[in-house]
Amino acid sequence: MTAPVITMGDGRTTMRRNFWHGVWRVLKRKPSRMAGMVIILGFAFMGVFGPLFYPDPLPRDTANLYAAPSWEHLFGTDFEGTDVLALVVTGSSYVLLSAVITAIITVVLGTGIGLFAGFRRGRWDTVLMRITDMKLTIPGLPLLLVLSTIWKFGSAIEMGLVLGLLGWGGVARAVRSQTLSLRERGFIEAARGLGLSTTHIIGRELLPSMAPFIAMNMLIAVTGAVYAQVGLFFLGVLPFEANNWGVMLNLAVFGGGAMSSPAALPYLAAPLLAILLLTLGIVLAVDAMDEIFNPRLREE
Amino acid sequence: MTAFARRLAGHLARGLVMILIVTTVSFFVIRSVPGDPMAAKYEKMVEQGMSPEAAQRAVEVLFGFAPTGSLWQQYVDYMSGLVRLDLGQSLTVPGVGVSTVLFSAAKWTILPVLAGTLLSFLIGVIMGVYAAIRRSGKLGDILAISGSLLHGVPQYVLALLLGAVFTTLWPILPQGGTADIMFEPGFNAGYIGSLVEHAMLPVLTYALAGYGGWILAMKSSVVTVLGDDFILAAELRGLKRGFIFRYVARNAILPLFTILALSLGMLFGGAIFIERIFNYPGLGLMLIDSITNRDYALMGGAFLLITAAIIIANIAADLFYTVIDPRVRSGEGTT
Repeated sequence: MTAPVITMGDGRTTMRRNFWHGVWRVLKRKPSRMAGMVIILGFAFMGVFGPLFYPDPLPRDTANLYAAPSWEHLFGTDFEGTDVLALVVTGSSYVLLSAVITAIITVVLGTGIGLFAGFRRGRWDTVLMRITDMKLTIPGLPLLLVLSTIWKFGSAIEMGLVLGLLGWGGVARAVRSQTLSLRERGFIEAARGLGLSTTHIIGRELLPSMAPFIAMNMLIAVTGAVYAQVGLFFLGVLPFEANNWGVMLNLAVFGGGAMSSPAALPYLAAPLLAILLLTLGIVLAVDAMDEIFNPRLREE
Repeated sequence: MTAFARRLAGHLARGLVMILIVTTVSFFVIRSVPGDPMAAKYEKMVEQGMSPEAAQRAVEVLFGFAPTGSLWQQYVDYMSGLVRLDLGQSLTVPGVGVSTVLFSAAKWTILPVLAGTLLSFLIGVIMGVYAAIRRSGKLGDILAISGSLLHGVPQYVLALLLGAVFTTLWPILPQGGTADIMFEPGFNAGYIGSLVEHAMLPVLTYALAGYGGWILAMKSSVVTVLGDDFILAAELRGLKRGFIFRYVARNAILPLFTILALSLGMLFGGAIFIERIFNYPGLGLMLIDSITNRDYALMGGAFLLITAAIIIANIAADLFYTVIDPRVRSGEGTT
């Protein structure tokens, strides 16, 4: 009785090992992909451990306002004389934490709704997709701005929650079309013919073959969330409760006058570089995911 | 043609439902704002020595609907005002209706967005064809990477970079406004030159933000078409490369019109950042200003107009697609 269970478990672990082996091979082929993964891991490290390297609150140097970049302050100082690099590092945890929460909510809701609609078809599908299309048509940013008059998005968790609840539309559509194409394939037909339960088919057959696709969407959702919240803070409609990249951009442009005088430029450049670097990392990683997901791309 | 009419009717019905939803959302958001702005205004007027009746009337005029009656009654009044394009009075620009303020701002959003989209479409499509044909070479790689990066970077980052370069480091372009005030608005060379100069940075940002998407979409579309039999047939017939280029481009460009709607929508959303950064007085800047000034009537109106612009862009792109692609026209019901 126990023997088949063990062999099944063995089979699955080898499958998993093969999967990670494949991921490693795809990453190794192009150094740019490695760089992407390294960048993402670096940001994760920065978000989790970065604030531990700096005292709280950050020291001010009132004699050194808007100092030019130097060895002591790599990106100069801000309007209070605080080191800009330190602000970027400590500000990253708010940005990254809420982005991860957004991505999780987006992907869980989007995958759930997309799978359900695509697998069930029929009336549920129609209703769900109508709602999804409407969500996709209502412009997210203006809606967020209007909502910011009632909600204050105080913590990173709240911010992530709101962005996640507003952002699942695209993932739902993408997962649905994947499901529609997969459900016609032989192995799903076979599973249905064998009389396997729907939960088994979805959990054991559909989800694993879509895992890389979902992971890719998750990375895209992280980028989208970073942009959206940094942008919201940048526009200055939210109260500046925490230090984060969007607040820095806002203060540099509208407080420091970075669009007219060069003094505040390093202050503007530091968070911009952080956003660009994170984007680059995610774009490179998505490129690798694309290849894992779409085996046809592998033969060059 | 009846199929076309039915398609149009369907789109219009869906668009109206969307507008209804958006208006309802903004109505209830305005109602649920903490510290009811209408009550606050009323209290302030009474404090300033106005009689309660006069204050009541003044508030009604200011907000464009009677704040008395049941919530349902208020909602019906707001909606019937909307049909007459009466969105109430703006608080920041007293004495002028919200719709007047908005329509004068709308052209500063719509024209630059359209100009930027067309520019990026032209350049992106041509570059996309090259990226597809040279996809195994260096040029293709560079084009594809530039596309992914520009597609991935948010518009405000592009706008900030362009602004930092062209107004701070190397100040050759003006910052803020639509034209220099020393020129008389009208059809004269000085004013038009100044208009163009001021629109340069916003249009350039819209164009760069859109370009990446076009290049990627056109590349994948061309790659698909290149595998089609008719290309092989054309090659076998000994057609020149230029002809093949045109065959490919013409067939590959069709799917891009569906993306046109999405990209226009994205740019209208991004207009908020770009107008704020370059201080360009379009709908986006109006929305931000109305939020910072707590001018809720204007806020609801600006939100509605931005959404309406996106819905109309969607419908227009879809209908355009129907007109140019005979497969969609004949095969109705295959949506």
